[in-house]
Amino acid sequence: MNQKPLKFFATILGIILVLALPFIIQDRYFQHLLVLSGIFIILTSSWNLLAGFSGLLNLGHAAFYGIGGYASALLALKLGISPWIGLPLGGITSSIFGIFLGIPSFRLSGPYLAITTIGFSEILRLVSMNWVDLTRGSLGLYGIPPLTSIKLWNGMVIKFISEQNFYYVVIISASLILLIIKRLIDSEFGISLKSMREDEMGSESIGIDTSRYKLTVFMISAFLAGFAGALYAHYVRLISPEMLSLGETFTILTMVMIGGLGTLYGPVVGAVMLTFLSEGLRFLEDIVKLDIRFVIYGALLMVTIIFMRNGVVGLFRKKSQD
Amino acid sequence: MESLFLQQVFNGIIVGSVYCLIAIGLTMIFGVMKIANFAHGDFSMLGAYFAIYFLLLISGWVGWIGALIIAGIGVGLIGLLVERFLFRPLLTRWTDIDIIMVSIGLFIFLENGARLIFGTAPKMIADPFHSQGINLLFFSTSMIRLLCFFFSVVMIIFLQMFLTKTKMGVAIRATSQNRNASLLMGININFIYSITFVVGSVLAGLGGVLYGTIFAVFPMMGAMPTLKAFAITILGGMGNIRGAIFGGFILGIAETLGGNYISMQYKNAIGFIIIILVLLIIPQGLFGGRQNK
Repeated sequence: MNQKPLKFFATILGIILVLALPFIIQDRYFQHLLVLSGIFIILTSSWNLLAGFSGLLNLGHAAFYGIGGYASALLALKLGISPWIGLPLGGITSSIFGIFLGIPSFRLSGPYLAITTIGFSEILRLVSMNWVDLTRGSLGLYGIPPLTSIKLWNGMVIKFISEQNFYYVVIISASLILLIIKRLIDSEFGISLKSMREDEMGSESIGIDTSRYKLTVFMISAFLAGFAGALYAHYVRLISPEMLSLGETFTILTMVMIGGLGTLYGPVVGAVMLTFLSEGLRFLEDIVKLDIRFVIYGALLMVTIIFMRNGVVGLFRKKSQD
Repeated sequence: MESLFLQQVFNGIIVGSVYCLIAIGLTMIFGVMKIANFAHGDFSMLGAYFAIYFLLLISGWVGWIGALIIAGIGVGLIGLLVERFLFRPLLTRWTDIDIIMVSIGLFIFLENGARLIFGTAPKMIADPFHSQGINLLFFSTSMIRLLCFFFSVVMIIFLQMFLTKTKMGVAIRATSQNRNASLLMGININFIYSITFVVGSVLAGLGGVLYGTIFAVFPMMGAMPTLKAFAITILGGMGNIRGAIFGGFILGIAETLGGNYISMQYKNAIGFIIIILVLLIIPQGLFGGRQNK
């Protein structure tokens, strides 16, 4: 049976639904959650590129996110550079820091790489807290300009202060990034990454230059995380060293593990699910007056790994794959 | 000036002895089971809370000793459950990523669970000597810190004796060196795993009581000892107990000196800088042992 037209229509319907969402539900708070989900999709996908597809366990991902945010915010605040240019510049700055983690990954793997990356992000967090002249320390940066308005040819002005308009910026970026990641993992590059994940020495023996691949994937992942950080900075317009904290990394990896590690859509599912679940739990917290959100996160993470290793996405595709 | 320097070294040794205790637990668990337990410091946190609540019942230094025993037993039991139901199902999979992730899940769960139960306000473990000071030849310190130091040293000596003189200890070391050969020699690997994890957890719990006595006790305190213990084990070579002992003292001294002469704000970064430098320059650690890679 030919399922192609069905799939095509489902995709079109999905795209229309995603684009129309902020119009269907006008509630600004809901739209805010949509924007956050979108930023988290970029962030989790970039982490998944490292941990899921390349087997490089990076526990300092929040550092890339934070560097992107701080770089773009500082460029806008101190030099008056347009946030639109700041977004890719934030990514590039992060990507340069990605080199610093890419190089140790040549020799380190598993827990050793994990600990090194934690060290890297904690050092940067301490710098962001203590370099008060530049970052205002733990007070954080505020008054970050929003994305500059765009003037259309007919004199219409699109402002990016409202959640609704920002949603489109985020969702278009996230879709493009997912498309790029899909192309990347299906290409020779992606296949090499996966073979490196399964058997590093074996890959080297068939002529895969693992060091080069590791460095490249670290830089790409860092760029994407930095981009997400810059988006966040110009959206919330207030950032603090909390952005670089271990807790932030743990949120990212919980999302990916619950959604499905090493799958294209796992991070998307995880990011959306946990963003909304976390808000749902916040309401529950108000009722029971207890801070139960992260306890549930931790429990979910443990249960996912022990009982459903392939996450939510894995539940649906068990038959087609393997 | 010189006496201040020596005083700082002395303080570093005392703090370092507590780090040793926590790091030895971590390095043992890693050496034998290949588990990098990111929730290790949270066992310390639990130990400290056991002590605080026990000291509410019985105070004074009898209470303090009792608190250590209770903390050891309590954390040991928790370790037993965690090993049996959390890590053992994963050990057959032989993937680092699952084990690290599950320990991170445990870390998030314990830290926030503790916030729920104990509240976020920092607490102090009651000092049985009422912060009485003591002057030794060139140094001055408080009685309680000196007691912490002696207790750590005694525990480390006990552990060394356990590992070298008893049959169980030899079996643990054998498993650490070659799992399959030990299996063939008739060693019950699962039992050894349980014992190792429990002993490691108990050390973390006891270390936590001392850590909480010297510093303060709060639900989020667990992350720092975990990361410091990792720094120490990497410095000394993963799975190398003697390395962990030296590493603990080196980190303790480096931190107090760095905090005083370089920068107080970056005191906690010293451990991380050590990790990165050691892994890049001498991956086998200062004291050899298993290759860090």
